[in-house]
Amino acid sequence: MSISLALFSPPTQPLSLFSSSPSKPLLTLKPHLSLGPSKFLTTTKASAENGAGTSPSAATALEIQPDQKVAETPQQVVQKGESSVGANGSAGAVEIEEDNVLSQFMDPKWVGGTWDLSQFQKDGKTDWDAVIDAEARRRKWLEGNPETSSNDAPIVFDTSIIPWWAWMKRFHLPEAELLNGRAAMIGFFMAYLVDSLTGVGLVDQMGNFFCKTLLFIAVVGVLLIRKNEDLENLKKLLDETTFYDKQWQATWQDEKPGSSKN
Amino acid sequence: MATASSTLAVFFPTKTTITRPHSHSHSHSHCHPLTIKASSNSTNPPLPGRKLRAAVIGGGPAGSSAAEALASGGIETFLFERNPPTTAKPCGGAIPLCMLEEFNIPSHLIDRHVTRMRIFSPSNLSVDFGKTLRPNEFIAMLRREALDSFLRSRAESLGAKLVSGLVTNLELPESSTSPYVVHYTSDNSRHSLPVDVVVGADGANSRVARSIHAGTYACAIAFQERIKLPDHKMEYYNDLAEMYVGNDVSPDFYAWVFPKCDHVAVGTGTVCAKQNIKLFQKGIRERVKHKISGGKVIKVEAHPIPEHPRPIRVRGRVALVGDAAGYVTKCSGEGIYFAAKSGRMCGEAIVKASEGGDRMVNEDDLKREYLRVWDKKYVTTFRFLDLLQRVFYGSNAAREALVELCDDEYVQRMTFESYLYKKLADGDRLQDVKMVWNTIGSLIKCNMVGSK
Repeated sequence: MSISLALFSPPTQPLSLFSSSPSKPLLTLKPHLSLGPSKFLTTTKASAENGAGTSPSAATALEIQPDQKVAETPQQVVQKGESSVGANGSAGAVEIEEDNVLSQFMDPKWVGGTWDLSQFQKDGKTDWDAVIDAEARRRKWLEGNPETSSNDAPIVFDTSIIPWWAWMKRFHLPEAELLNGRAAMIGFFMAYLVDSLTGVGLVDQMGNFFCKTLLFIAVVGVLLIRKNEDLENLKKLLDETTFYDKQWQATWQDEKPGSSKN
Repeated sequence: MATASSTLAVFFPTKTTITRPHSHSHSHSHCHPLTIKASSNSTNPPLPGRKLRAAVIGGGPAGSSAAEALASGGIETFLFERNPPTTAKPCGGAIPLCMLEEFNIPSHLIDRHVTRMRIFSPSNLSVDFGKTLRPNEFIAMLRREALDSFLRSRAESLGAKLVSGLVTNLELPESSTSPYVVHYTSDNSRHSLPVDVVVGADGANSRVARSIHAGTYACAIAFQERIKLPDHKMEYYNDLAEMYVGNDVSPDFYAWVFPKCDHVAVGTGTVCAKQNIKLFQKGIRERVKHKISGGKVIKVEAHPIPEHPRPIRVRGRVALVGDAAGYVTKCSGEGIYFAAKSGRMCGEAIVKASEGGDRMVNEDDLKREYLRVWDKKYVTTFRFLDLLQRVFYGSNAAREALVELCDDEYVQRMTFESYLYKKLADGDRLQDVKMVWNTIGSLIKCNMVGSK
């Protein structure tokens, strides 16, 4: 399938995409949810409270946030109503109450659900790096404080407004420089080694099939293995790719003799 | 059929003698490799003066479709169901268009015609699906109890005998011709029924699967609350279903708001973090807070959803279908259509292998006529959805990329066509390449932004 083909060609950050290993929710909460309503208060709002200490477990799991968020007042009234549903899990008719205070991402440059590009000007041109940084910060904040979706204030920021060369300059070029540097170092060293061992010069090496294979392996290795963890990730990825298929084929495996084949 | 079987008689007997080395010594008299006979090609023994008896355990979409196919094929069918017809099964309740046609579902059963679907990313970027739908295309939302009752009574009207009781045990036979005995309780008394073939359609906690040692599978848990909204809020959901993705609502699945007859179902699901399901439910409630405020929770329900097929789906003369076999797609969690379709295919397979109920069947028949046909037809679909789930549901960055991609009209059209008609949609090669290119681009961009 065309999609699976494309996914195997090397993008610049291949392995973080396929991490299907479950990341625990940032809002780690003690499993006994029935321990009274106070525990519910702090799940989504804790990070905004500056160490209010009402639920240490939730607060410690979250990261230090930049100071541009709204300091939140705890939602005592609302949560009590909602927690009784969770506490006993029974089908009581519980009112879902209107919330007065929103947890929202506030930033002077974030206007109307998108970044106001006119505020990102530098020397008369838009500073795309700053836009990317701002969006990254916003998403990181949202990881800890998920926002309520709203029909009146929809989010419309789409990363496609950032031109492709901004991404290239910022992320692709430094990485490409790194990888090319590694490849060059490996290439030079291996060419020297082969030459000293066999006396075959660089030009003649390139004509040899075995040397060309080594070259290919070196390039692929440099592309795929960028950090120490990548070796493990690649192995896991291969397992995962074939796992689902194995589950489907399980019923066709030969059964051991003696099982009921009536 | 007679002419076809006479030519096939050349092939089938040789095949069966090779693949079944230790069975059916009594059937060798039927193996005449080169005889052109206008008679059956099966090597199974004919049944003496009676029709094949089949028990279908479980009266949901899978069981009812199997019973329907069996009964209309001339097989004596018994359909077992434990719940009274009014019990509501916890379920999303969405079925694709092709099911309405293939199974002749009458339109009065449909509660809502959903023509818009909105998907929300972790940062609440929303994309409206449905711009590409034609006027007669929609996703049908219905109540499971209504659908199940309808299918059951239709199976009954075609000749299946409905047995209201709880099946407790399935006794395995000693030989290839002795019957399976279904032990069940009905009206507080225990009964047993001998049958020749069993179709296990009893859902995720299948007792039939346990009796034949079919193995276990990983299950996701789906948790939902039915909430009755005030009228003006319900207007908003008139033909709109919403899907939310994000680590706050599910680490490996999605959360949903589906409109039902007069209320909405707000729920979420997960495989890996089941103990935190209440937390995720709270997360989805937070995300839709304004849209459901003022609503009353009228029911809370949860149900396991299989994640992949069971290790053994056919053993002896027992076949598993539907949820019991694990036919639920990843990524969307769709199971009703595949349950009904697998039930029907299994029923038709048994009818064909037994030649209308005149002959006994065996495991190879079931595997050949049902499993192989099913796998050939649908394994690519399931594998593709598994790939989508692994790529796009793994992290918040990937989810953002998913929502960005969904803004493209081509993607929407392909998605809907594949979902509604269960066929690989006819695509434009150039657009495919563009879609793939955009996929990679979005994933890279969102990973960069997300991982800073």
